[in-house]
Amino acid sequence: MIKWFKQVDSILRGDATRMEAIKDGQVDIPVGGIAVVTVLLCLIYGICMGTFAASSGGDKTQLLASAVKFPLLFFLTLLITFPSLYVFNALIGSKLKMTSVLRLLVASVAVITAIAASLGTIVVFFSLSTNSYNFMVLLNVAACGIGGILGLTFLLKTLHRLVLVSDPYLLDLYTNKQKQITEPINNDTDAEIIIDENTGLAKPAASDSDEQIRSALDTYGSRTDQKAKSVFKIWVFVFSVVGAQMSWVLRPFIGNPEMDFAWFRTKESNFFQAVFSALGNLLGL
Amino acid sequence: MIKRLLYLTSRILRADPSLVTVQARADLVRLILPVMVFGSIYGAVMGSYNGINAERLVHMLYAAVKVPILLTVAFAISLPSFFVLNTLVGLRDDLGYCLRSLIATQAGLTIILASLAPFTALWYLSFENYNVAILFNMAMFATASISSRIILRRYYTPLIQRDPRHKKMLNAWIFTYGFVAVQMAWVLRPFIGNPESPISFFRQQAWSNAYVKLYEIMCNILQ
Repeated sequence: MIKWFKQVDSILRGDATRMEAIKDGQVDIPVGGIAVVTVLLCLIYGICMGTFAASSGGDKTQLLASAVKFPLLFFLTLLITFPSLYVFNALIGSKLKMTSVLRLLVASVAVITAIAASLGTIVVFFSLSTNSYNFMVLLNVAACGIGGILGLTFLLKTLHRLVLVSDPYLLDLYTNKQKQITEPINNDTDAEIIIDENTGLAKPAASDSDEQIRSALDTYGSRTDQKAKSVFKIWVFVFSVVGAQMSWVLRPFIGNPEMDFAWFRTKESNFFQAVFSALGNLLGL
Repeated sequence: MIKRLLYLTSRILRADPSLVTVQARADLVRLILPVMVFGSIYGAVMGSYNGINAERLVHMLYAAVKVPILLTVAFAISLPSFFVLNTLVGLRDDLGYCLRSLIATQAGLTIILASLAPFTALWYLSFENYNVAILFNMAMFATASISSRIILRRYYTPLIQRDPRHKKMLNAWIFTYGFVAVQMAWVLRPFIGNPESPISFFRQQAWSNAYVKLYEIMCNILQ
């Protein structure tokens, strides 16, 4: 069990997705173990989410319901979006295997849930101290949104690396480009710095590519496979929208204390309408 | 004991680098001590609004307990997300140093706060208005937090020079901590203690949202 947590940790640290680690074309992680930890993290965040209903006079069953439904949310979202990802991945001619895409998705969901769970303490604190349901809706959307943005950034960057290592031509281009970048600087004084083209931040010059790029969110390579990237970007957008709507279908997660407890609510409205109306209610518009 | 505490405070205020080295890990507990001591001092002074009498002493005690709680619990609540975010952007190796810097800064904040306590006392002696007393205390807290940034900057400069990502993480921390601390302060009120309401550790119906209240007050003013 602790071993699995260490694996999730190595994903977060970026150790599992370095160029050296993914040379054979896939993220080398125990999928089963990561999935177990992910479900646990989901349970933690689900309980954090359900605290509001339980503490403001609602039904305590909401705790259980949210804890069960939050992992389900990710599982169902993956179920809906995975086939299209696989098809589009094949369409753009990438040499990624289905198993490696799946492994990567599990890793990304692990990142999303780890971030959400780490924000859980803040959510619980506000749940206990707030009586505004609308505020809690927005806070939870923000917490999941932060997790989602970072997790999907992780997904995009890692997919990009995977595409790179699975294609000898692209990899060759990448290594050549890397040399071009580092060589002139090595001839100069130590004070030279490289400006990272993605973040715009100055980085100390280093000939070793891995020393230069340290986190799980950094980009490897350059514009060589823009096409592949844009397909993934579209997919990430679809994933977010489906995930958001799925959370609406599976509602209530937070549980409006003014309404009776129910495992599911009737079909009406959609996620985005609901978030806007929560914002409107909160601001008294 | 007092001599050692004073020595420690001077080291904290001067942002002594030896406080946050790896070797200082065991001393970390000692950094919590100033938060407790000086936080209580300011809390007691803060609770002395409307004079000191037997009844009021109870409230001073409450406030003295609550200020350290406010600072430490808000810190603890914000910690998990700081940990995961730092790991994700690849700064995990520096995390120990970051945490020690943040705790030292937190200790510095309470020392500064305690040093401002005499002003609060003088203010209470000079002016009656309860609402203005609230504002004055808010100003003291703001002054202490802004001044403690000097300590934070001294500790963080080498980190940011080495990796600019630390600046982003620091900003994220300040935002999260501020967001939580404001609500924590709201939940833990009364600190100053309105003389018209009975003395209690928590205020009745204290469970509400600082941000929603703030927005309502702003709307009232604008209308």
